[in-house]
Amino acid sequence: MRALSSLLLLAAAPLALAVKLEDFKTCDKAAFCRRGKAIAQRAGENPDWKSPYSVDPSSLAISSDQTSFTAAVKSSLYPEINFGLDVRVHKDGVVRVRMDEVNGKGKRYDEAASWALVAEPEISKDIRWTVGKKEVRATYGPKGNKVDVEIAFNPLVVTLSRNGRTEVALNSLGLMHMEHFRTKEEPQPTPEAVEGEESAQTVMEVPNPRSWFEGEEEDGYWEETWKSWTDSKPKGPQMLSMDISFPNHEHVYGIPQHATRLSLPTTSGEDSYYNEPYRLWNSDVFEYMADSTMSLYGSIPVMYAHSKESTVGIFNAIASDTFIDVAHPSAHSSYTHWISESGILDIFLLPGPKPADVFKQYTGLTGTQELPPHWSIAYHQCRWNYVSSDDVRTVQRRFDEENIPVDVFWLDIEYAEEHKYFIWDKKNFPDPVDMANDVSAVARKMVVIVDPHLKRVQSYPVYKEAQELDVLAKTKDGQSEYEGWCWSGSSAWVDFFNPASWEWWKGLFKTSQGSSDKCAWIESTTDVHIWNDMNEPAIFNGPEISMPRDNIHYGGWEHRDLHNLNGMLFSNQTSQAVRARTDPPMRPFVLTRSFFAGSQRFGAMWTGDNLGTWEHMAVGIKMVLSLNLAGFSFSGSDVGGFFGNPEPEMLVRWYHVGAFTPFFRAHAHIDTKRREPYLLDEPYKSIVRDILRLRYSMLPIWYTAFHESSVNGMPVVRPHFVVFPEDEAGFAIDDQYFVGSSGLLVKPVTEKGATEAQVYLADDQVYYDYFTSHAYRGAAKGRNVTVPAPLDRVPLLVRGGAVLPTRERPRRSSPLMRRDPFTLTVALDTAGAARGTLYLDDGESYGHAAGALVWREFTAARRGRATHVASADLAAAAAAHGQAPTANAGAGADVGVGTGAVVYDPQNAFADEVRAVRVEKLVVLGLERRPGTVTLGGAELEWEFVPGVASGAGKEGAAARLVVKNPVASIVGDWEIVIQ
Amino acid sequence: MLPVSWILLALPVSALAAVDKAYGVSPSLLEKYTPSSKSTWTCLDGSKEIAWSAVNDDFCDCLDGSDEPGTGACPNTSFYCTNEGHIGAFIPSSRVNDGLCESECCDGSDERPGVCKSTCKEVGEAYRAKRDAERKLRKTGSKIRASYIAFAVKEKKRLEDVVITSEKEVAAQQREVNRLKDLVERTESLSMAALEHRKESPLYRALLKHHQVLKSLQKEHEKHLEREKELGDILSNLRTGYNPNYQDMAVLEAVRGWEFLAGLPHINDVHKDDQPTEEELGSDEVEEEEEEEEDILTVEELEEELPALLESDYESLLIEHDKHVGTPSDESLLFNVGSYVPDALLPQFEAVRDGLLTWLRTFGIIKGGSDGEPADTSRAKQALSSAENALRSAEREKSNAEQDLSRLFDPKWFGRDGEWKKLQGTCLEKSIGDYTYEVCLFGEAKQKPNSGGTSFSLGHFDRWNDAAGLELGSPEYYSKQYYARGTKCWNGPMRSVQLVWTCGTENAILSVQELEKCEYQFTGTTPALCLPLEDLEKKKDEL
Repeated sequence: MRALSSLLLLAAAPLALAVKLEDFKTCDKAAFCRRGKAIAQRAGENPDWKSPYSVDPSSLAISSDQTSFTAAVKSSLYPEINFGLDVRVHKDGVVRVRMDEVNGKGKRYDEAASWALVAEPEISKDIRWTVGKKEVRATYGPKGNKVDVEIAFNPLVVTLSRNGRTEVALNSLGLMHMEHFRTKEEPQPTPEAVEGEESAQTVMEVPNPRSWFEGEEEDGYWEETWKSWTDSKPKGPQMLSMDISFPNHEHVYGIPQHATRLSLPTTSGEDSYYNEPYRLWNSDVFEYMADSTMSLYGSIPVMYAHSKESTVGIFNAIASDTFIDVAHPSAHSSYTHWISESGILDIFLLPGPKPADVFKQYTGLTGTQELPPHWSIAYHQCRWNYVSSDDVRTVQRRFDEENIPVDVFWLDIEYAEEHKYFIWDKKNFPDPVDMANDVSAVARKMVVIVDPHLKRVQSYPVYKEAQELDVLAKTKDGQSEYEGWCWSGSSAWVDFFNPASWEWWKGLFKTSQGSSDKCAWIESTTDVHIWNDMNEPAIFNGPEISMPRDNIHYGGWEHRDLHNLNGMLFSNQTSQAVRARTDPPMRPFVLTRSFFAGSQRFGAMWTGDNLGTWEHMAVGIKMVLSLNLAGFSFSGSDVGGFFGNPEPEMLVRWYHVGAFTPFFRAHAHIDTKRREPYLLDEPYKSIVRDILRLRYSMLPIWYTAFHESSVNGMPVVRPHFVVFPEDEAGFAIDDQYFVGSSGLLVKPVTEKGATEAQVYLADDQVYYDYFTSHAYRGAAKGRNVTVPAPLDRVPLLVRGGAVLPTRERPRRSSPLMRRDPFTLTVALDTAGAARGTLYLDDGESYGHAAGALVWREFTAARRGRATHVASADLAAAAAAHGQAPTANAGAGADVGVGTGAVVYDPQNAFADEVRAVRVEKLVVLGLERRPGTVTLGGAELEWEFVPGVASGAGKEGAAARLVVKNPVASIVGDWEIVIQ
Repeated sequence: MLPVSWILLALPVSALAAVDKAYGVSPSLLEKYTPSSKSTWTCLDGSKEIAWSAVNDDFCDCLDGSDEPGTGACPNTSFYCTNEGHIGAFIPSSRVNDGLCESECCDGSDERPGVCKSTCKEVGEAYRAKRDAERKLRKTGSKIRASYIAFAVKEKKRLEDVVITSEKEVAAQQREVNRLKDLVERTESLSMAALEHRKESPLYRALLKHHQVLKSLQKEHEKHLEREKELGDILSNLRTGYNPNYQDMAVLEAVRGWEFLAGLPHINDVHKDDQPTEEELGSDEVEEEEEEEEDILTVEELEEELPALLESDYESLLIEHDKHVGTPSDESLLFNVGSYVPDALLPQFEAVRDGLLTWLRTFGIIKGGSDGEPADTSRAKQALSSAENALRSAEREKSNAEQDLSRLFDPKWFGRDGEWKKLQGTCLEKSIGDYTYEVCLFGEAKQKPNSGGTSFSLGHFDRWNDAAGLELGSPEYYSKQYYARGTKCWNGPMRSVQLVWTCGTENAILSVQELEKCEYQFTGTTPALCLPLEDLEKKKDEL
């Protein structure tokens, strides 16, 4: 929603803003990172460098069912310290490598994975470990895709290779280091405690046998002061360093959230693009830069490496402060170095080999994108702040007067009296329930903010209850309530790691008091959903605008250990709370700013407080693509930019970006001018209205893409390399992308004054302009085409071979489209064929998990001189193959419906409900010639044909266009139309 | 609008085709919805001929959407509901068959049969009741408005009278000024020669230089004072307006620095116990005070002395100086000047001189005639200057009255009928939360803290609603007043107010909202906007 400060932000001034870099640490300001970097430095300077870590072969123990093994690991630096290694292979081929100190003086944080993983992964039963003299290995997978996992003993190196080619290696550069727990050595009182050279020489007389690796000095082991804050570090050093190499992959993607390109630019090595490693430390960065490795609000430590030959990935389940260097030692290899402050080694190797495989493997671990309520993929209107209930009503009225569709009105922090969330500011919101009901009368929703900081006043019942329950975060003494400053002034933070907070938090969102004597939000309705902001947590007077690292959470863990998880636990609990408001439960919508691996199970995210600049508009697309790869498909950036007053041209282009982003919300800072679409002058107002109507007409496509993502983890928006994994020219493209499997290719304009755009077509296929049906031709080795891009048009192409289901009747809100007829656009490919899918359900309940859904497949195929367009029941087909037609493992399982069994009945209640919804129009692009007849079941249909370019003709120009009127009476049934 | 349950009627397409062809058609277009002899129909824009059966078949055939008046299949068209028992209404096609019963279509015709029940009887009754109430309000309001217009008419008369009186006054004063000017000119020309000589004195020249420098210094000083005040205002606003939650050290330092400098107590402090007591602050202030040097004037003295000094009449001083140091000329120049006048002209000169002296004596500008009092040109000048002042004030009165007159029936000011004149200077208040908002109509709007303290100007009357497309002087034009250029926000624009008026029997502010940073919206009622019913209805007819 906002970052730290609005100071000096002049509403009318052009945006010449900058992040306060000094508020955040760089690697050289963090002792653990300095130590980790120093290891890499020393290794680089020492040609004889060898990792001190090795496996003790005698300790190797393979489990009785052969599925995993454990072994002792020793470091030659500290022979007396014991480490334990545990390696296992999951059913889907993912390899999990874990290492921790055994019987040490302390305990490293080992719970990050348990929060991130959706469930304990199933171990493969087919693995056989072979123990050799120098290594232990297992080989698995089908022929042609043989994966080999090898753990070399001395030094310890883990390698995953395929068909003899190394895909990913851990510690192959010997940078692995797990700083063990040690006792602080009190300085010896030396008799001649004179300062100067003499004492320095005394130290040098005792050579440190470990200095070749660890260095001479104990750099910030026991205490660290930065700016005005001192981190007490009672556990001493516990840094974890690991090099992860992809010796045969040129591109690495992932580790969001950074405002940078999709294919990660280098941070080390010669001529590196950046000179600072990527950082993962969830931070509220005020006015962040559009091109930087700085950490932002959330962290997903997953990285993919991609080449023409294969795609692999790693998921590093670590939640402490982490810096990651990226380098390309050669043109076709990638090297990364991960330095974390604390936590065990817990790395998952994702073997691929294709992009779709790594996404399935990653979301198999952390869960797929939760299928959102349908309304939440429509348009959201937000501002800091709509200042009163009458203001909300006026905004709604103005939208309706101008016939501009919108589904959700949002309230930022000013609704709450003194920023005491749940408590309405009655001066301005005297009638919150009536207000919410006025909004839902037009089938709309509201989203209201609830932040994790609680104002520390006894008159605030939520704070009082949290205090009584003893679920507030503690200072370093582990006893006292931590006090920090946030919107509400002096505040305390709920410790969601404490299970005692969970039921209480759920109760806060109940819209009726029931029999509970605790707080409930009776001045709310079940049409009000929730926005979780500031959950990094953002703390205005804390180090790096967050919590002190030595604060204590439930279980005695320090904040440093679990910081990056904090935001996810908050949105997790909130989404459960919102779901639990009703019986039966309804799908919650929770927007979060901070996130971690797994947050996709709990709702949506946005890229925080962006600036109203063209650079931020452009980088927002790249950030959303990166998040989509990292499993968090339901993502978007503030349309218009949070800070600043975008000129109309910029705002219009930004609406185009938003309309092709999974999460589509306009939002603005309190100091900005109002910019709701109805306030725009013509022609901008009409252009934005049309953009919103375009998004609404395409909601069936988006919802189908979300459904696919919820089932198999495929991103909702897909960059080029995902769709064309072997087209090297597309690997770095991050300004154009595909929407789901629909075949829609979009390239939003992010430049001022543009009138056309270059679109890259990766394959020898026909692409049709969505608006004009103009046929463009790609080429097998890739080709750029010039597409007109006047202000009222986003470059949007349909790849030949797609069938697009749309709903073309403009409505005020998306639920009002539920019984509108469909239009099917068949974009024939060069062979005259096409395929598309449509997924529908009631959009708000969990009925889909019990099979209440419609899932259709539309195909077009040439048979002789005829083209057959048909619809088949995909859900029934999936059920026949023993596959569930919908994701019912996640929330569905939580709420007790859909127990994983394949449930599908074509006559289900939802199918019955939409049986009367017809296909009002069938459009076929690229037919070879004027049809003689167009028939359904032998009966002639009404149609029109405009001659033009045929799909297979190799020409460009307006495509041949057949329009069939009212072809099919029901979207639900099977049918076949013959175009003869 | 009532949400209705999502029961979909399993209507086959053929059943939809059975919708009446004229369904949803506006009465004025009804006759166009008839089939041709070949059972075809031409889209209203003439672009296409379609089968008669394709009209209202829930599929959009015509580019202009005219073939689907009753189904909502064509975007951007209108649907007409007859609303029997009430009055007909149009709704956008996007609201037809969307599952919601539109309040505008009380007959329920916007949804499929059976979805919405007709509520036209109740709606009609409610509408009439509301309309009657509105009429009543308008009637009462328009009576008050009429009294405002009557006031304006009287005001016109009064102002015209003022113009006439002040015109006379101006003429009289003008004559006086002319006469005095003449006198002074003569006096000056007589004394000029001698004066010129004395003005050569180095002392006089130094004095002039001093004057010039002092004057410049004063100007410069004033400029600095003004800047200091502005800076102080900015800092005071920062101090009271900054959000302590932001924890921006630069702002905190600025605020603390200002508090120290201005001797203000700390506000918004994180650590309340750090707050110094008033005594501590007081003692700080004492220490701050600089030791006073002797011969240095205090600020107050300076403020008093400097303007007086600058207003000195140096020529008079010169003459007095002469007297003081005992120059030979012990008689006023005016009396001695005769010796320089050529003999031939002497009689005329003496006549003029005597006349002048008589006049000067009469007005007490010079005393006696023979006792040698200096007949100072400066005294003559003073008389002239006060006459000129009187003239200016008379002129001002006249031009004010003329301006008031011209604005009285100016649509950009008090309206064609002058109905707003009565409200000029009327101050309305609304207390909301911590502040009371006040607007003195056609004057200034203010935000006053209820707990005391400085109030902020939210701007001065700037204009009426001049949005594009609005007719000057129309009721819509008067529905909004803008007050602009109020105190600048420390992190935003200059404060401003948009005052939205509706007709009401009272002059009152109903609500105040800060929709954007430092941009306020007031809503209020006033009888001035209550047009007589006849006028409104006439307007409707014209449309």
